[in-house]
Amino acid sequence: MDQKTVKKINITYLLCYIFVPLAVAALSVLIGYLCFKDGGAGAVICFMGGPGVAILWWVFGGSLIYRIAKKNMLKQLGEMGIDCRQIFYSDGCVVSMDIAQGKIGLLFFWNPFQVQVVPAGRVTEARTDDGAGGAGFLRGTSRVSFLFKIDGITIRVNTFISNQRWKMNDEKVLEGISKADLWVQVLDAARQQGAGA
Amino acid sequence: MGLVDKWLRKYQDDWCRECKCAMEKLRKELFALPNMTVGHYVEHKDAAYYRKNLRVVGKKADIPPGMYACGAIQYRCPECAKRVTVLDPFLPVRDEEKHEGSVVFRDGELDDFLWQ
Repeated sequence: MDQKTVKKINITYLLCYIFVPLAVAALSVLIGYLCFKDGGAGAVICFMGGPGVAILWWVFGGSLIYRIAKKNMLKQLGEMGIDCRQIFYSDGCVVSMDIAQGKIGLLFFWNPFQVQVVPAGRVTEARTDDGAGGAGFLRGTSRVSFLFKIDGITIRVNTFISNQRWKMNDEKVLEGISKADLWVQVLDAARQQGAGA
Repeated sequence: MGLVDKWLRKYQDDWCRECKCAMEKLRKELFALPNMTVGHYVEHKDAAYYRKNLRVVGKKADIPPGMYACGAIQYRCPECAKRVTVLDPFLPVRDEEKHEGSVVFRDGELDDFLWQ
């Protein structure tokens, strides 16, 4: 597992996530069209049920799978003997750090069935992106994150995200920057540990 | 924390409640709170907690990212000579600070520890 490149997106999962509900909805509508030409309860169920389930899946399915995967990640890391007390849950990625062993555990929203463990020595860069933009009193941010590169693949982990722009000295933004700075420090420490091992 | 409480804590810590006058700043010190990290702040009002966990640091830059700091200021009322210690836990973030609300000790609970 250690030698594999990090895979942020499982293409099969992504395609299934999009097209399987679409196929189910289309099939349901087709059945409704072919079997219930005169309308009635069956037609309503076929025309509304399939597409409804598809929409529900697209809205909630991914989060549900990701939530279950996050719980399983802890169990899997424990079985591998990796200390996962230092862990950060983000919207699109979970990063776990075992500084003593110099190992990073990763789980991605679009690749939820694979917990990836890589040596911290493969991290080549770690930095904070405060997302600051705008000038004067409009200066602010809507996203704070820390980024690190493994084998040239950039992984961005959000510590603060919003649909509005917040001032740089806002409490939420400051907390996000602090978390990002902390994790950059942790990544650097683990990288040095991994390089020395 | 209510708005009034927040306002009182922010602006009225250096105010002698008995004499209704502003107190003078006697001394101040900066501490680190190593077991309090970003995202896990829990307010403590007992002196024993601070006795156990405060660590003296020279300057804010010595505190690593994500770790809480705590400013301690001792005030003295010029009229009744009463002394009050105010602890101000905050998260240092680059050039900014995220303050969590101060904790006031009016009976000298921490004096022997803070100003030794």
